[in-house]
Amino acid sequence: MHRSLSFETFRYAAILTFLALSLIPTIWMMSMAFKPVAEWQAAGANLTWWPENPTLDNFRFIFGESGSDLIVALERTAGRPILASLLAATFGTLIAMVAGSAAAYGLSRFGSGGNLPLALIQLRIFPPMAVMIPVMIMWAFLGLIDTWWGLALIYGIVTMPFSFWLMKTFFDDMPREIEDAALVEGCSRWRVFTRITLPIMRPALASSGLFVFILNWSDYLIALLLTTRDWVTIPVYMASLSSSMTGQLYGAKAALGLIAAVPPVIMGIAIQKQLVRGLTFGALKE
Amino acid sequence: MASIRFQNVTKRFGDIVALDDASFEIRDNAFFCLFGPPLSGKSTILKLILGLETPDTGGIFIDGQPVAHVSPAKRNVAMVFQNLALFPHMSALDNVRFPLVERKIPEAQIRARVAQVTEKLHIGHILGKPPAQLSGGERQRVAIARALVRDPAAYLMDDPISALDARLREETRVELRRIQQEMQKTLVYVTHDQEEAMSVADGMAVLESGRIRQIGTPEDLYRQPNSTYVAEMLGAPRINVIPGDMAGVIALPNLPAGAARIGIRPENLRVNPGGGEGTISEIEPLGAFTTLSIDARGQTLKASLRGQPDLQTGAHVSLSVDPARAHFFDAAGNALAVDA
Repeated sequence: MHRSLSFETFRYAAILTFLALSLIPTIWMMSMAFKPVAEWQAAGANLTWWPENPTLDNFRFIFGESGSDLIVALERTAGRPILASLLAATFGTLIAMVAGSAAAYGLSRFGSGGNLPLALIQLRIFPPMAVMIPVMIMWAFLGLIDTWWGLALIYGIVTMPFSFWLMKTFFDDMPREIEDAALVEGCSRWRVFTRITLPIMRPALASSGLFVFILNWSDYLIALLLTTRDWVTIPVYMASLSSSMTGQLYGAKAALGLIAAVPPVIMGIAIQKQLVRGLTFGALKE
Repeated sequence: MASIRFQNVTKRFGDIVALDDASFEIRDNAFFCLFGPPLSGKSTILKLILGLETPDTGGIFIDGQPVAHVSPAKRNVAMVFQNLALFPHMSALDNVRFPLVERKIPEAQIRARVAQVTEKLHIGHILGKPPAQLSGGERQRVAIARALVRDPAAYLMDDPISALDARLREETRVELRRIQQEMQKTLVYVTHDQEEAMSVADGMAVLESGRIRQIGTPEDLYRQPNSTYVAEMLGAPRINVIPGDMAGVIALPNLPAGAARIGIRPENLRVNPGGGEGTISEIEPLGAFTTLSIDARGQTLKASLRGQPDLQTGAHVSLSVDPARAHFFDAAGNALAVDA
């Protein structure tokens, strides 16, 4: 299609503006992660786009081997919170995906649990705080406070509605006839599921899984309430990165933020190929 | 080889009666067409035969055996779905092999069988590709090959060639007929295209909203429809159905008792030029035939004449019909028993 020059100019200007708005904070964080103390301190520092004396000090600092003359030594290093986040988010996502997809499949294909969607959405009608306080009490009774598995369990429960809804629309979109064909051609119900449905659903599972993982990975509130010391997660730990003398340790936070961005980005790249193709591309006559 | 029998089968989906007390038998080796408008119950019959749906009441028998408790996999019936339902994550070859692999047939036999079927359908050269890279016609053939690769008791096809263009459709249906005769198998074929049904079937059922209106050979149904519905469903251009009091227009002196409506197929309507009650309103030359629209007493009748008759729009004509070729229906639309 041929468009006028002014329209094209406007289009690119708009795209660049939005790109800048969304990328500048990220670029700022990346830049700050490599700045020495003098350059990231809010007070009196000369703020620049790029670090003038790039350093890995911030990274060394959060892992407990600070080479800088930074004021404080950390009580806890970032290693354990990263492990906590990885374990809780991964297993939480697994629980949500397995339970959510199974429920979605049952409802989509056999109409089992007809009122389930309503029941699931109720969890999300209340403000999270209202739900989390009773959960906190229950978890205390169960001895699940400050454990990664306690966190993973509640992550699985609160993100399950998302995986359910996403997977239900995907299952609804997959034509029944593909499964019917496999049934007629000699498969049992279980075999249809493992040999036909699951492979076809792989891109759907991957994208829903990534979405749920990011939800769990970026949670702050739940982890703040349910962990105290041993298994605090990255966001909670990040909030604690401050000192009475220098205030917020922005350099350390930026370094940790950069590390926290790595897993979702890697996953996104890994499943990118799956995301661009339609689920049942080519299965049907058009 | 199998006969399929339905005995008083009723199937409801919620409030909708998809199939209402259907009883019929499809004999062994028949090319049997289920014909009707969308949602008339054709696909429901196939799903019931396959075992993908269970009847609410009544029994289904394949080769005389009740199949109520036989799973779809064990019913030994192959199916080509309306939307083809190929497996998108497998190559065309794996799609075709699938029924045999699932039944744990020895590899050597699978190869031989697949080679045979793919040759018959001329798809040997595209087997490596996934369905996404095939054209509509190629997908169709792969889907048909997947059904033919086994040796089932019967084949079911749900309007499998509707996506093809007219010429390819004609070719494919002739080929299907040939394959069916070669393989000596029962084939149940769903279509909404009357020409398709008439041309290939040796038995057919006409359906209307879950009810079977008439069963017989295409010729029987065409010559002796039991209702105006069946008469209007078969044949193109459509049969003329006019009120009984218009008998004078078509020069029919004596109507059978109770005849409220008269049906005359366009090819049986004789058009006599040189003045009369009818006025030609439209002429459609179709090559071998010409279709005329003739207005008379507020009704429009169609006449199908051989070749290109020397007639003009606006000309006045008189109409007549051989009484033996007219159909008579009562007020409810049911055919009157006539001595044919």
